[in-house]
Amino acid sequence: MTGHRTLSELASPNNGYSYAFLDEYAKRELRRKTLKAIAIPGYQVPYASRELPIARGWGTGGLQATLSLVGPEDNVKVIDQGADDSVNAANLRRFIFRVSACHTTTDTLAATIVQSRHRVPEEIMGEHQILVLQVPDPEPLRGVESDIGKSREMHGDGEYGLLWLGLYEQLVRYRRVTIGASYPALVHGRYVMSPSPIPRWDVPKLHMAQHLTILSAGREKRLYVVPPYTSVKPLEFDDVPFRIENQRGWTCRISGGSNKFMSEIPLQSGGAEHEISDTSYREKLVADVKRVDGTECAGVPYYDNETGHFYIGGFLKDEEL
Amino acid sequence: MYVAARGGEQAILNAEQLFHSLKSTFNADDVRRVESTMPYLIDKVMGEGSLYAPELAALAILYTGGDLYESVLMLRAFRSTQPRIAYAKTLVQDDWLTVRRISAAFKDIPGGQILGPTLDYSHRLLPLEMLDNERDHGPISSTLPVQMIRNSELLTRQASLPAVADWQRAEGLLPELPFSASSVSPDSLPDVTREPMHIPADRAVRLQLLGRADTGGILSLGYANMRGYGTVHPTVNELRLGYADVTITHPVSGEPFSIGRVRLSQAEIVTTFKGAAEKPELALGYCATIGWNEIKCIAGSMLDMAMDLPKPHPSHTEDYVLHHTDPVESSGFCIHYKLPHYVTFGSDLDAMRAVTAAGDYLKTTGASVPLGTPGSFSENAPNGAAKSGKELS
Repeated sequence: MTGHRTLSELASPNNGYSYAFLDEYAKRELRRKTLKAIAIPGYQVPYASRELPIARGWGTGGLQATLSLVGPEDNVKVIDQGADDSVNAANLRRFIFRVSACHTTTDTLAATIVQSRHRVPEEIMGEHQILVLQVPDPEPLRGVESDIGKSREMHGDGEYGLLWLGLYEQLVRYRRVTIGASYPALVHGRYVMSPSPIPRWDVPKLHMAQHLTILSAGREKRLYVVPPYTSVKPLEFDDVPFRIENQRGWTCRISGGSNKFMSEIPLQSGGAEHEISDTSYREKLVADVKRVDGTECAGVPYYDNETGHFYIGGFLKDEEL
Repeated sequence: MYVAARGGEQAILNAEQLFHSLKSTFNADDVRRVESTMPYLIDKVMGEGSLYAPELAALAILYTGGDLYESVLMLRAFRSTQPRIAYAKTLVQDDWLTVRRISAAFKDIPGGQILGPTLDYSHRLLPLEMLDNERDHGPISSTLPVQMIRNSELLTRQASLPAVADWQRAEGLLPELPFSASSVSPDSLPDVTREPMHIPADRAVRLQLLGRADTGGILSLGYANMRGYGTVHPTVNELRLGYADVTITHPVSGEPFSIGRVRLSQAEIVTTFKGAAEKPELALGYCATIGWNEIKCIAGSMLDMAMDLPKPHPSHTEDYVLHHTDPVESSGFCIHYKLPHYVTFGSDLDAMRAVTAAGDYLKTTGASVPLGTPGSFSENAPNGAAKSGKELS
C-alpha cells in the first residue's frame, strides 16, 4: 500500500474565482448553447443559468453571455436605457472589468461587446461587434399563454395565431396597435421572438444587422440569437404597418440633434424637454458641433439625422404613407 | 487600458459604503456567535442558499446586516462557482441520527413519537427580565448538541425508528416504491444547478427546487392550498429532523468516509382515496431540505402533492409553483423595478398618446366593448387576445 494522500493534496489549489467569474464548465455550456442559438435564429435555447454576485433580474442573463465571450483584449461597453453612466450599467461594467481585466469604453464604435438593457445604440454596429441584450422575459407568447411547457409547443408548431389575434383586438378597440416596447418580431421567417423591451424604434435595427445579437434571460434561463444578416420582421398586417415611436419635432435639449430616440424630461413649469437617450452618441454630437475642422466623430446612424428615414429603404412601410 | 468611469460609479461605491457604516462592525468571533445562537436562521439561509456551510451563512447574514434575500444570494453566487468534485452516497433515513420524529396520522407509531427540540408548546412570552439581567438565557451547557443526544436514551432508540410509510406499505395502504434508494446512482439524477428546468419537470428536479425554494413563498402557496384553493386534504404522516453523515468514496483508497455531519429535515404528508376507484390508496407528498426547516418541509410536501393532481389549481401547477418560489429570482426581479424604465415607459406612452391623438377610439368602440385589464403585450397597452399579460422589463 502506497502512502495515503489527503483530499487537499489531490485537489488543485484553490484560486478563488475563475477568470471572468464563471467556472469553465459554465462557460462551456453557455458557448455551446450560444452556438446552437446562432444555428436556429430566434429559437429560445434553455441553459442552466448560474447565480452571479449581482441581483437576479438585473442583467444576469446578459452578463453570463458577456462573461462567456469576454477576454482581456475585448473592449466592453455597458448601457442601461442608452446611458453609460446609469448606476446599474456602471456597476455591471465595473464587475466585468473586475473579473476579466478587459478594456471598457463608452464609444459604441470602439466596443467589441456592447451589453445593453432596453436599447440598441443609434450608430450602425459592424460585423466585428456583438450586442448582448439583457432580457427580462424571453417569451413573446407569455401574454397569451403563461405556461412555458405549452408555449414551447406553440413555437414548435409555429402557432402564432393568438399573437395576431391580439394585434387585431387592439385595432378593433383602439384603431391602433398599442404595443409599446417588446414588440414581437419574426426571425428568419420561423420563430417569433421578444426583442427584449427595446422600444419599437430599435426593432428594425436588428433586421439584416451586420453584428451578432445575443439575447439572454438569466432568471428565465433562456437565450436566443439574431445572427448577422438575418431577417427580423415586426409583426404587421399588410394594410396596418408597424410603427416606430412618433418623436417627430422633438429636439435634443443638450445636443440639438433630432431623429434619434429621445427621453422625455418633464418640466416643473409644465410641458417637457427632450434628450437623446443614447448618451455616447449625444456626446459625440456635442463634440462635433464644437469641432472647427469639419471632421465628425459620430458614426453613421440607423436613422438619418435630417429626414429620420431608416437606413434600409422600404423596410418601414409607415415611412411611405 | 482605458477604463470608462462616470458619475454613477462613484455614487454606487458611496452607497455601499453608507450601507455598511450604518451598522456596527463585526469580526470572526461574531460569525461564530451568529452560527451558534441562531441555528434556525442559519438553516433557513443554507436551505434557500442551497449550500450547507453554516460558517459562510453566518458570514453572509452579518455582511448583509441580516437582509436574508441578500444573504441567500451571496451563498448562491458563491456556490455557483464551485465545481462538483464528488457525489455523496445517498442518505438513507435509517442512517440518520433522528432527534425529532412526529406523526399526526396515528396516536402512536412504531418506534414512538419523539418530540425533540421544538418551540411548538412553549409560551411565546418575551423574556423581558433578560434585558435587565447579566445572566445568559437558556440551559447552561457546554456539550455539543450531537453529544447531548449521544448521551441520551434517544441513541438507543435509533435502530427502531422505521418510517410510518413502511408500515402503511406493509398494510397495503400505500403502493410499493417503484425502486429502492440503493438502486439509484446519485450521478444519474438531474441537477437543477447545472441544467435548465423543463415543464413538466422530472420529480427529482421538483424536489430539488422545493428544497431550495423561498420559505415564505412555499408557505404562501402551500397555505392557499391548505385553505381550499385545491383539493388536497392532507395529514402529516411523518415529520423528521435529524443529523446525518455525508459519505463519499475516497478517490484513492476507494473507502467510504464521512466528510461531515449535516442537519436535515423532511416531511411526508399523506392523503386518502387516491389510486384507482375500485382500489383507493393513500398517496404521499414529500419535501426535504438541508438544515431544519419544518414549515418549508410541510408546506412543500403539500405542494408536491398538489402538483400531482390531474387538474391542479392554477396556482399549484408545476409551472406556477416552481417558477415563482425561487428566493433569488423572485426577490431579484422584485427589486429590479427600482432600475430606470424610462425608455420602455416612453415607448408605452407613445402608443397611448397615438390612440388619444387619433380621437376615434371612443366613437368606434363605444361602451359596449369591455376593456380588459391593462397590458396585452406591454404594461400600459390595452388587453389583447384571450387574456392579459404583462411587460416584464
